[in-house]
Amino acid sequence: MNGLAQAQAKASVAPVPLGLYVHVPFCASTCDFCAFYQMQPTADGVERFLAGIGTEAAMVDWTRPVTTVFWGGGTPGLLAPRDLARLADTVRARCGGAPREWTVELAPASVTAARLAALREAGVTRVSLGAQSFQPMLLDALGRQHSREQVHRAYERIRAAGFASVNIDLMFALPGQTAEEWAADVREAVALAPDHLSTYCLTFEEDTKLWVKLSQGRVKLDLEHEAQLYEATWAQLAAAGYAQYEVSNFARPGHVCAHNLNTWHMHEWVGLGPSAASQQAGVRGANIADLEKWLAHVGRGERVTEDRVRLTPAALAEDALIFGLRMNAGVDLATWRARAPEAPWPLVEDMLATLAGGALLVREDDWVRLTDRGRLIADTIGAEVMAAFEPITETA
Amino acid sequence: MPAKYTRNFCIIAHVDHGKTTLSDRLLEHTNTVAMRVMTAQHLDSMDLEKERGITIKSHPVTMTYRAKDGHNYKLNLMDTPGHVDFSYEVSRSLAACEGAVLLIDAGQGVEAQTVANAHLAFGQKLKVIPVINKIDLPSANLELCTRQLEDILTIPAEEAILASGKSGIGITDILEAVVARVPPPRWTEYPQTRALVFDSLYDSYRGCIAYVRVFSGTIKAGETMVLMSTGQKAEVKEVGVFMPKMEKIASLGAGDVGYIVSSIKNTADVKTGDTITNGARPATEMLPGYKEVRPLVFCGLYPLESDDYEKLKAALGRLRLNDAAFVYASESSLALGFGFRCGFLGLLHMEIIQERIRREHDVEIISTYPSVIYQVIKQGGEEISVDNPVNMPDPGTILEIKEPTIRASIIIPNDSMGDILALIMEKRGTANHTDTLDATRVMLHCVLPLNEILVDFNDRLKSVTHGYGSMDYELGDYITSDLVKMDIMINGDPVDAFACIVHREKADGRGRQLCEKLAEIIPPQMFKVAIQAAIGGKIIARDNVKEMRKDVTAKCYGGDISRKRKLLDKQKEGKKKMKQIGKVSIPPDAFIKVLQNN
Ligand SMILES: Nc1nc2c(ncn2[C@@H]2O[C@H](COP(=O)(O)OP(=O)(O)OP(=O)(O)O)[C@@H](O)[C@H]2O)c(=O)[nH]1
Ligand code: SF4
Ligand SMILES: [Mg+2]
Repeated sequence: MNGLAQAQAKASVAPVPLGLYVHVPFCASTCDFCAFYQMQPTADGVERFLAGIGTEAAMVDWTRPVTTVFWGGGTPGLLAPRDLARLADTVRARCGGAPREWTVELAPASVTAARLAALREAGVTRVSLGAQSFQPMLLDALGRQHSREQVHRAYERIRAAGFASVNIDLMFALPGQTAEEWAADVREAVALAPDHLSTYCLTFEEDTKLWVKLSQGRVKLDLEHEAQLYEATWAQLAAAGYAQYEVSNFARPGHVCAHNLNTWHMHEWVGLGPSAASQQAGVRGANIADLEKWLAHVGRGERVTEDRVRLTPAALAEDALIFGLRMNAGVDLATWRARAPEAPWPLVEDMLATLAGGALLVREDDWVRLTDRGRLIADTIGAEVMAAFEPITETA
Repeated sequence: MPAKYTRNFCIIAHVDHGKTTLSDRLLEHTNTVAMRVMTAQHLDSMDLEKERGITIKSHPVTMTYRAKDGHNYKLNLMDTPGHVDFSYEVSRSLAACEGAVLLIDAGQGVEAQTVANAHLAFGQKLKVIPVINKIDLPSANLELCTRQLEDILTIPAEEAILASGKSGIGITDILEAVVARVPPPRWTEYPQTRALVFDSLYDSYRGCIAYVRVFSGTIKAGETMVLMSTGQKAEVKEVGVFMPKMEKIASLGAGDVGYIVSSIKNTADVKTGDTITNGARPATEMLPGYKEVRPLVFCGLYPLESDDYEKLKAALGRLRLNDAAFVYASESSLALGFGFRCGFLGLLHMEIIQERIRREHDVEIISTYPSVIYQVIKQGGEEISVDNPVNMPDPGTILEIKEPTIRASIIIPNDSMGDILALIMEKRGTANHTDTLDATRVMLHCVLPLNEILVDFNDRLKSVTHGYGSMDYELGDYITSDLVKMDIMINGDPVDAFACIVHREKADGRGRQLCEKLAEIIPPQMFKVAIQAAIGGKIIARDNVKEMRKDVTAKCYGGDISRKRKLLDKQKEGKKKMKQIGKVSIPPDAFIKVLQNN
């Protein structure tokens, strides 16, 4: 087992960390694969968004200081330096001190020295750069509005600004992409020496341009090819000194993304902004994915209006397994047995034993984690976990 | 309207020769169905019929036609199925008629069920009106069709009417011929009421509805009726006719085709082929009934969820009411639990019933590999019938096994002869003799083991004859064969539901084919799954089900938990629709799929 990841997982059990996610719903244009809630920015839209965040933040029951902050989107980096500072002020007012980790997602085309300075000034510690690819053809195929040179320039500026941690996002299994082209992208990213790498296999989300192409048969799925790319990526990054800690995430020692770990461990987080999800005080849910409607909700003093569910300890245990098994460190069953003794553990144990028998899962005392082969089919395994917990879900 | 102005006729033909389409034109021409509610293949009222474009059940309809002689005629039409599996539907309809319109597709000519159905009609002494249909087709060959009429069916060519159901050609000619050539209803002078039950239907509100052809007397609501085979009495609640929807009328008289709703609820009490008479003045002699149809093909049907056993049982009961050829009895399986052994006339029949159970009765089922009935003679002379391979006795105790054969008549183009003989040989059959039909076609008579034609015979026949071959068959004798039981094992465990009986010499090939096909049909599994075929414990073939390679969703951050759960939930529900055997998820229709080629 990856000792570092295990230690982190254990450590995070102590006082429950609290994450803060802010969804900035503005993008310059829409990428072909994107299913996130986003729109073209207008001066008025940004203004009302920032005001809305302030109102919503004031509605949250902040029981303790936030430990991690994540600004995603959308493209938070599209906001003007002045607006970034304003958003940061709102956030800081709620943090109760400097968060341990504060990430902001940036798109290569909008990385400027002024914005970076504003973010550094505000206390941002981590930047995530959405490069996706270095190949012009593929960038074009994804509908991305930046060039290879822009990625390099943006990275240099980010490094120059002196953030504690930098991530690069890449995507693979793009239509027409060969294994060699992908390996070259990984090499080019590694050569930049980021602290963290996220490599996402392209997913076809409903209501995206790519989905339309798929349903029209203009692009094809090849699961074997995808599996091979996964395996090649894992090997290539391990050799380059990046330890995998989740299906799509790799870090140099000390650089895992604490904010994401927090959610996968089923701790608590507050989400602000349209479409942002929250999990706090036994309730999970999301804000409505529409700027105007969200503003109206917030104006009426309502938030987390969508997909609201009350979380029982057993339901949390179920999700901790589903999401925990996606991580290389795996899950500590003892912790969850203690928190949710009423969960159907005998059924869960049967299921885990079956997975172990098929070399999909490894068990060491009360720690369970997936093998590489298991991690490649983590969705099926997640569905198995759900099935094992079903007696509880059905009566809950 | 006196019975002399009534005509009862059915439309018969080989499959797809255009019976239902022609019926559409007759319905339109007689204004039976208003244009605004008319649909294509209107009488194919079941969803399954519409989807597949084939007729499964005979459909009756009453039309009124003003003939050129100035009289209004009541024409009772029955559209019949053409597929060989449903030929009993044709004979039941024929028994309720005095005439038959025999269609011949002008592009295809006479085919096997043309001959078979014409002979059924001759056998029942019906007037046959030959119609050469689809003459709009560019490939229409009228000369060939008329010659075949004379040579093969011995019907004078000048009797033939040229028609196109699609273009509406010849419709009046057909209606006039029905009036002129089909005799008025027979046996109307019989002193008491007699009606033949030719079909029945279960309605959840009204109970059992009998479809009848009245031969003599009248039937109306309030009377007491008697089912002559059992003597059971019941009150008539309602009578009516098919327009083609059921329409209530005051009474049914001699020559009429209609329905009877009675106080009988139990589906099993009304047998098709029975005679209904009046309780106050009962007849003493029954109408000629039907030869009992016997199922030829058997398989086990099991509810996917064991809780659905009673639901499945009720569904089978109802289907049986509408379908005398379908039988069932309870059985159990180690792999599948409690279910039923069911008998069918053929594979299409089996497929249709399974589909109807799923759709109309909303029960998910899984079926076993189909089997025929074997006669097994054991040491010591005891003889048993085996319709489920699982019940095949230990080989050491068997003296001999006999299997059913069919007598097939296959119509083929001359130049396919070599290929067909090779196919018959491959299927362990023997060709007896051929009749020359005309310059281009022959009819080949042969005997084939029934279990060999179950799988892909018809597809193969079609492919080697480029679509021009067709086959009709009837059950032949039992013959002694060198048969063995083949087990199918999943990860080393034999699964009783998959066992089948094969000829020893064909076991290797069949085993390989089965394993390969199963490995292809069973979706990729989380674990390695071996599928093996074995005879008496000896492995003769093996294949592996694909292992799942990749299904993980790449991105998953805080906001995605609810969305992600929905996705996994779908996946979980999908798996529930499969049967878990050991650790393997098997699609419920795996065996139907195994049998379907390509
Ligand atoms: N060209 C042409 N096609 C026709 C004609 N009549 C029917 N068809 C086509 O032939 C096919 C079969 O028609 P149906 O009316 O369903 O045939 P059927 O004899 O009732 O078929 P089964 O009930 O399954 O035996 C359909 O694709 C029709 O569109 C015709 O007069 N001309
Ligand atoms: S930049 Fe990100 S959020 Fe915006 S459209 Fe592209 S993928 Fe979607
Ligand atoms: Mg039809």
